[in-house]
Amino acid sequence: MTNRRAVFAGTIVLTVLALATVARADTISYADAVSLLANDCGSDIRKYCKGLNLGSGRIQSCLEQNEGKVSPACTVTLANVITSIRQRQAAQSSFATICKHDIAQYCKSVKGEGNVLSCLNKATRVNEGQCGQAIIDAGWR
Amino acid sequence: MKRIQFKALLTIGLMLSAGEGVAQQISDMQLVRTLGRVENAAPAIDVALLVEEATASAGKGVANLPNWQKLSKLSQLILDIEFENDSVAIEPKSYRTVGLIADALHHPNLRRYKFLVVGHTSSTGDAQHNLKLSAQRANAITEALSTTFAIAPDRLYSIGVGEEWPLDAANLKAPENRRVQLINLGLVQ
Repeated sequence: MTNRRAVFAGTIVLTVLALATVARADTISYADAVSLLANDCGSDIRKYCKGLNLGSGRIQSCLEQNEGKVSPACTVTLANVITSIRQRQAAQSSFATICKHDIAQYCKSVKGEGNVLSCLNKATRVNEGQCGQAIIDAGWR
Repeated sequence: MKRIQFKALLTIGLMLSAGEGVAQQISDMQLVRTLGRVENAAPAIDVALLVEEATASAGKGVANLPNWQKLSKLSQLILDIEFENDSVAIEPKSYRTVGLIADALHHPNLRRYKFLVVGHTSSTGDAQHNLKLSAQRANAITEALSTTFAIAPDRLYSIGVGEEWPLDAANLKAPENRRVQLINLGLVQ
């Protein structure tokens, strides 16, 4: 019975770990995100969105309006790229909140956001924790 | 792991740029380092004055742009961003470069600074038209940065100087005169 309970508990731990890994998808840089867009949608953009620009969602709405004509790969990539950009933005704006405690603990006297970041990056304890992960997700390590 | 990937990227980048002659494979960290070198003695720039000067002297060359010459004292780099012919639409192959700028400008080392995007053309075509097109193209870049990539609009300025300030003054039609300058204007007030 004790053994079985131990196995059961072990399974739960493994499942939780697995879920945590799945839930925390890696973010990618803005450059990588729009490179995917250029690769998979470049020819559709040139064909259907001539004269339109990347800014203010114009390429996005053009591709969406022409959904029946653009390649299926492009439609999938477009949605992924928008999600990737959002995830990176969310990671970058949550940095200050997630790292607040570590900043107070390890980099209290450091001035300037850039210096605070290099201070955090040097602290081993930070690297192992939530703040370290936030820095990776923001693309700053 | 991340660090190893970054180093590999940097090596590939340097190899490619040596082979192609164009530094387009630079990483966002190289951008951050280059743009972050700020001198204390950097001159203050009045963007409205630059516009005035460029408008008044279209077709007359860089000698008529005294305020523009102050820009060369600021941290900056030159980027190659391709546009559709006679249009403000950025070519998809240059999306990556705009994304790299966004990665750099969001980095904590640069978040305190504001930036000027300057558009340049070659001398092909009419000087007035080139001046207008270069300004519209520079504006297209800052628009993409502030909307698609959520850089605060108060950190971004755009301006065009047409064909007045060539890199290759001996060969005004040379394609390398068509370029984008990204300049660190100093701290956001």
